Amino acid sequence: MKVLVPLKRVADPDNANKVKVTADGKKVETTGLEWKPNPFDEYAVETALRLTEDGTKPKTRAGEVVVVTFGPKECEITLRAMLATGADRAIRVEAEDDQLDGWLVARALKKLVEQEKPDLVLLGKQAVDGDTNQVGQILAELLGWPMATSAAMIKEDGEALLVGREVDGGVINLKVRLPAVVTVDLRIVAPASVYSKLTKADFKYNEGVRFAPLPAIMQAKKKPMAVLKLADLATDTALRIQYPRFEPPKGRAAGKKVKDVAELVDKLKNEAKVL
Amino acid sequence: MQLASVATPTRPTQQANERGGEPVKQPVDIFNPTEEHRHLRETARKFGESVLGPQASKRDLEESFDPGLFARFGSELGLFGLTVSADHGGVGLDSTAAVIVHEEFSRFDPATTLSYLAHEVLFVNNFYHSADAAQRDRYLDKVLSGEWIAGMAMTEPEAGTDVLGMRTTAQRKGDRYVMNGTKQFITNGPYGRVFLVYARTGPGRRDISSFVVESGFKGFSVGKKETKMGMRGSPTSCLVFEDMEVPEENRIGAEGGALVHMMRNLEIERLTLAAQSVGIALRCCEEMTRYATQQRKAFGKRLIEFGQIQQMVAESHAHTMAARALVYTVAQSISPGRRESLGAASAKLVATGVGERVARAAIQVFGGYGYLRDYPVERMLRDAILLSIGGGTNEAMQKNISGDLSDMYG
Repeated sequence: MKVLVPLKRVADPDNANKVKVTADGKKVETTGLEWKPNPFDEYAVETALRLTEDGTKPKTRAGEVVVVTFGPKECEITLRAMLATGADRAIRVEAEDDQLDGWLVARALKKLVEQEKPDLVLLGKQAVDGDTNQVGQILAELLGWPMATSAAMIKEDGEALLVGREVDGGVINLKVRLPAVVTVDLRIVAPASVYSKLTKADFKYNEGVRFAPLPAIMQAKKKPMAVLKLADLATDTALRIQYPRFEPPKGRAAGKKVKDVAELVDKLKNEAKVL
Repeated sequence: MQLASVATPTRPTQQANERGGEPVKQPVDIFNPTEEHRHLRETARKFGESVLGPQASKRDLEESFDPGLFARFGSELGLFGLTVSADHGGVGLDSTAAVIVHEEFSRFDPATTLSYLAHEVLFVNNFYHSADAAQRDRYLDKVLSGEWIAGMAMTEPEAGTDVLGMRTTAQRKGDRYVMNGTKQFITNGPYGRVFLVYARTGPGRRDISSFVVESGFKGFSVGKKETKMGMRGSPTSCLVFEDMEVPEENRIGAEGGALVHMMRNLEIERLTLAAQSVGIALRCCEEMTRYATQQRKAFGKRLIEFGQIQQMVAESHAHTMAARALVYTVAQSISPGRRESLGAASAKLVATGVGERVARAAIQVFGGYGYLRDYPVERMLRDAILLSIGGGTNEAMQKNISGDLSDMYG
């Protein structure tokens, strides 16, 4: 199986307090930010690796995982981290962060899919910066491919995938014919969530995303990294989403102390209007 | 927490841009000299945080060692043989890489890191650079994969800092040596399959040779597992050799040539032990700063607003930064072909002192909670103390530094 995994870097979610808005409110200040791969995209890469190997022999590849990102040159460090983790090939589409929106990225990805012809496009369900949760869905629509979102389980089944989606009150099981677009949720990296046709049903992975082994880190620079221009993949690069202004969230207001239950009920009723 | 991000000094550039001036040239990042070092740090930190950390306190309380976990350093992470050439199955990296791994692991589990150090630095690095091709063929694969746990045996019950006072003897008898003696405080002793052992092969004080000894050799036995104050997740015991026969082909290098091996390995040993202290100090800084700024209030104010707490937090942070900068600076000038004894001794002396003081300050900031086993800082202090003793005491470092200076000025 050949899997294409689009991914992006985001400001380190553990250092979210460092994210600042420029004085004019026009954009998020990116200088000095520490970048991490979007966690859901890391899960997508892990899922793609699991689908292209026998779990008992992870050092032998049985398929191809191509990772792609849109961004400036320094994004290559994020791609190489994925190559070190096990991805086979990387593509960087030259672009600035503020020249992109979900619509443009999805259209460019459609063009890339036509060139690369993967059997599956795997994405994180959303990026934890903009949280727009739309690239996967738009891409599936543009391609006219079957789609499953927020997958918590994927099992290869002939020319199709069995996809489990966790919803309130249970799991929805879908059978998706390949080629397809699937977005993944948190629990896709649990020990018994993903099975390629080579991995036996009683095999259990370690919890979470695999570690980049040091020998693979040393080899990562030798794996292919192609650089494309955004214009090669999309003729119309105008943005459909406009960001008129950014504001940091307001600090939390101080709470109020009440004397007794009667006052609490009164405030809930008349001030908060929740009763 | 922010301390680890001293690795990416972005502030000067930012300020220059804000003033509208030319961007300042990015300073060299001594903590991550290449992208590979950065990815290595990422892997070590993730593994430390998600795998070593959660069980570290349990291993400390139970004084237990997990060989399955240890094997993952080799089979899963490929972290054995950092300084072994890639042509021989290693990674072909440098002292800075070794420092990164020891620092990151020690933030979460200094004891298991010490076992890693005994295997990787005390055995693998020394053995690789001193052994001949046939010896490498026989042993290297097994220790690089982690299939065999390894260690090194130098110290004796009555010879520590005074290493040339060792009494273990290896007497030549045909094509083999007969070894007799006891080695004390051997990290990985109860679990090791192979050890690098120093023994006396002649009457002179410097007539010492290096041997590779397998735990299966007849006459080899392991003493009782020691009960320790700290580093309890790292197994320590004495090794006893009673008329143990060691084949001649297991002698490393020339007869009487051990001092060269010993000396060549000393600096990276000291440096990685110093890196462990830096890791402990970083963790304790994080813990105490988070506690003082986010978690604990007294008299209606956050702890960090009290001057006495500020002194402990600020000095801990500053001293940790200084020790870290020293360790990484010295790391740049240490390799098998390049020695820097003054730097290595200074790094160990400074970093181990900082590790102890910062861990102690963290306990004080936590108050009564710091004294409980529920929080990691008291374990960190107990672990930190070993680093001022093992691998050369701080008194030995003072002696060596004074000796080197005396040579330079005398």
